[in-house]
Amino acid sequence: MPPSSIEKAFLKKWLKGLQALSSSSSSSTSKKEMSIFERKKAIKLSADVAMASLKNGTTSWSRALIQNASKDDNNRTLLKNMLGSQCDEKLSRGPTTTSMMCSMRVRSKRVLRRSCRWRRVRKITKDQRVHAGSMAKRLVKKRTQVLRSLVPGGEYMDEYSLFEETLDYIMSLRAQVDVMRRLANASEFSSKS
Amino acid sequence: MSGRRSRQSGGGSRISDDQIIDLVSKLQQLIPEIRSRRSEKVSASKVLQETCNYIRNLHREVDDLSERLSQLLATIDTDSPEAAIIRSLIM
Repeated sequence: MPPSSIEKAFLKKWLKGLQALSSSSSSSTSKKEMSIFERKKAIKLSADVAMASLKNGTTSWSRALIQNASKDDNNRTLLKNMLGSQCDEKLSRGPTTTSMMCSMRVRSKRVLRRSCRWRRVRKITKDQRVHAGSMAKRLVKKRTQVLRSLVPGGEYMDEYSLFEETLDYIMSLRAQVDVMRRLANASEFSSKS
Repeated sequence: MSGRRSRQSGGGSRISDDQIIDLVSKLQQLIPEIRSRRSEKVSASKVLQETCNYIRNLHREVDDLSERLSQLLATIDTDSPEAAIIRSLIM
């Protein structure tokens, strides 16, 4: 299957990040001496940032990912090369969104609990309804917490936004994995021939 | 329950039950593990569980692929002809 336009755009940005990496140390001998572990971290970071930057700040997860990456001073050069002038603009958008999201959190939490209880109720007897309902509530709450830890910036989102962001995040991750896999397969192929 | 409902309305857009359920079903369709069972009723907690597993798997794949690539690309100069071949293979 041919790569989609998103995948192509991602590859371009990712390779740009990788190139900046090797060219920054090309003057010294450290280029070849970069450990495999360091290289792996750089490859992963460039890939994550490349995918996030394609969003142009329209999603919370992508903003959070870039913000988190910028907290490490080691990543500064890479981020600057990949994001350029957009870098500072993206980082400043964080706090406003957070406060907006928090105010919606309580409202949607109640709505979600109610909708989950409604689903469970259909399957069981009246007597058990209370117990199953509260168990389902607890399960959903627990699993939602886990989801928050997996989606960048998830801890600050209300439940509705969390689900929306999750959908988008999964789509992006899939495209990212797709391209990375193709590159790995192609590299293996060319290195063997 | 009705007391809670009346407190929520007023000012801004209200998030409805349907919207949440719609999102949950969208997630359901996205996750390969539970997509085939669309005809059955899948609980929200199951959808969440599978979603988390799916994301964890994707993260692991990214990690493994980065590992693989770091070993492969260590030997390839990004300006070299090999890199050009790779790029043309993927585009």
